[in-house]
Amino acid sequence: MADPAVEKRKKLGKILAIAFVAVLFLGAGPGLLLINPDINDPAATYTFLGLPTVYAWGLLCYAAEVVIVVTAYLKVWRDDEEDAS
Amino acid sequence: MESLGSLPYYVVGGYLVLLLGLGMAGWRRSGTGEEDYYLAGRSQGWVVSSLTIMATFFSSFALLGAPGMVYRDGVVFALFSLNVPLSGAAVYFFGAKIRRIGAARGYVTPGDMISDYYGDSVLLRLLVAFIGVLYTVPYVVMQIQAGGILSQQLFPGENSYEIGAVALAAITMLYIMIGGMRSVAWTDVVQGALLMGGMLVGGIAVVAVVGGPTAFFAKVAELPTKSLSVPGTTGYWTAGMLLTVCLIGSIGSLVQPAQWMRFYAAKSTRTLKRSALIFAVILTACYMFGVILVGLGGQVLYPIVDGAGNYSHSSSGALLPNPAVGDTPAAFNDIMLVVLKNHLPLLLGGLGAFLASLIMVAIMAAAMSTADSNLHSMSAVLTRDIYDRFLRPQATDRERTWVGRAIIFGATVLSLILVIIANRSESNPLAMIAILGLFAIAFSSQLLPVTFDMLYVRKGTREGAVAGMVTGLAIVFFISPFMPELGDGLAGMRQAMLGMIDKGAWGVVGNVVVFVVVSAFTKPLPSKDVAAFGKIADGE
Repeated sequence: MADPAVEKRKKLGKILAIAFVAVLFLGAGPGLLLINPDINDPAATYTFLGLPTVYAWGLLCYAAEVVIVVTAYLKVWRDDEEDAS
Repeated sequence: MESLGSLPYYVVGGYLVLLLGLGMAGWRRSGTGEEDYYLAGRSQGWVVSSLTIMATFFSSFALLGAPGMVYRDGVVFALFSLNVPLSGAAVYFFGAKIRRIGAARGYVTPGDMISDYYGDSVLLRLLVAFIGVLYTVPYVVMQIQAGGILSQQLFPGENSYEIGAVALAAITMLYIMIGGMRSVAWTDVVQGALLMGGMLVGGIAVVAVVGGPTAFFAKVAELPTKSLSVPGTTGYWTAGMLLTVCLIGSIGSLVQPAQWMRFYAAKSTRTLKRSALIFAVILTACYMFGVILVGLGGQVLYPIVDGAGNYSHSSSGALLPNPAVGDTPAAFNDIMLVVLKNHLPLLLGGLGAFLASLIMVAIMAAAMSTADSNLHSMSAVLTRDIYDRFLRPQATDRERTWVGRAIIFGATVLSLILVIIANRSESNPLAMIAILGLFAIAFSSQLLPVTFDMLYVRKGTREGAVAGMVTGLAIVFFISPFMPELGDGLAGMRQAMLGMIDKGAWGVVGNVVVFVVVSAFTKPLPSKDVAAFGKIADGE
């Protein structure tokens, strides 16, 4: 019978993997078109809170990636030393 | 570099002495035998592992090419940084399993594992070795060349290019030959720390030069609209290009031989777990808060448009930087050096000159750490996968280690000769090497499908692996300039492919399709062998 803790960890791992790919699609894929200023639009704005919008978007996605990786490190990734103890 | 006075001499001198000292220390701690020479006895802890993995990952591109890309294309290149956390995660996903299997079965090169898993395939071993050499050769040559260029900037004068290239090559060669992986990794610790420090200090310095964060971002907001949007000034960084570079290019550089050997050399899975975290979080910050700001500050200080908003182009139609930075398209990569040289000493006096010298040493560190790792792994690949396997299978451990050293010596001397001839020649003999360098990650990416199959899927066959890899390599060669012209139709197709998505991604797509199809119709690997391999990989 499968260990419930292991199953829970695997499930969280899958959720984090999907979230990571989603962040990549948003940050460095088609998702960035959501925030990309249209250079042909005279009313387009290029900054958000004083930062270039594209850069701010990159920082936001970086923060999301960090949260995912740190969560994976703490909750999902195992090492042989932990498994042995 | 007049504005920096004699400081660079002391900083560079101190740095090179430190490297030699570390190389000697590595040698004194070395044991005998191939496993010690190539993998430091599989004993590297997390500090050494994380810094040597990061230092190997970043070449001089991190401090020259990346700010140059931002200077040319604008803020869009910041999104390229999002590939770094993915590479970091891959250090754990691939590295942990590769380390377990390597330690259990005594593997040293990627070819050892791949050919063993797929039934001791000679062809597969040769293909993996070929990919390894395709990746390492241009990196070694280009890093030695970077040493010459940097020397010209730091110590202008007659023969400074040659002296810089020789010094970088000779010192790098020396410490690899005497201490092997231990010396390479220990020097990488210093070089990795310098590299990351240089990236961050460079960013902070440029923001200070422009007048602090508020003034900096206010002036950035006034840049041309193309510099503030996707796909950037040249139109290269479309969403498809960014995504595929982030997905394929970044992981592709983590399965190249030098990184693979660092996974084998790690002491434990915990070592790689920590390395993955540090890589993902800290290295990305160095990009986001370091070199990206250097490039943007470069556009503020040295605009690439004239007063009427027009861009300058070369006779071949390539975008040109501000004339104060350079008069060739390649001069975009000089923006970090130009800003440091012209502004930091004025802003901070002696401290500025010291920081500028330190960042330039960081560029040298980036070049040396990539050159040493690739020279060392090339030696392992040629010794283990070619010499030991096909030329002298009866060679002793000691003999193989000495052959490895001879390969390092020969490869360094040849690369150096090539770099020096290229600098004195009117034609450019390094042009093909530079092109090979642009395609290096595309070639190494062709190891991704078999790596993923071995570590996670375990459904592929030997014939599938060979066919997939050959297909992937053929596609990359087809879209590279190495392919002879085959008429306007194919040339147009090649250009369209290059502009759509990452070069390596095309090869990986073809590789995966052929790998899956051929594996479905050929004899599976013995299930007992696959299960045994899987148990080790999964740590059961």
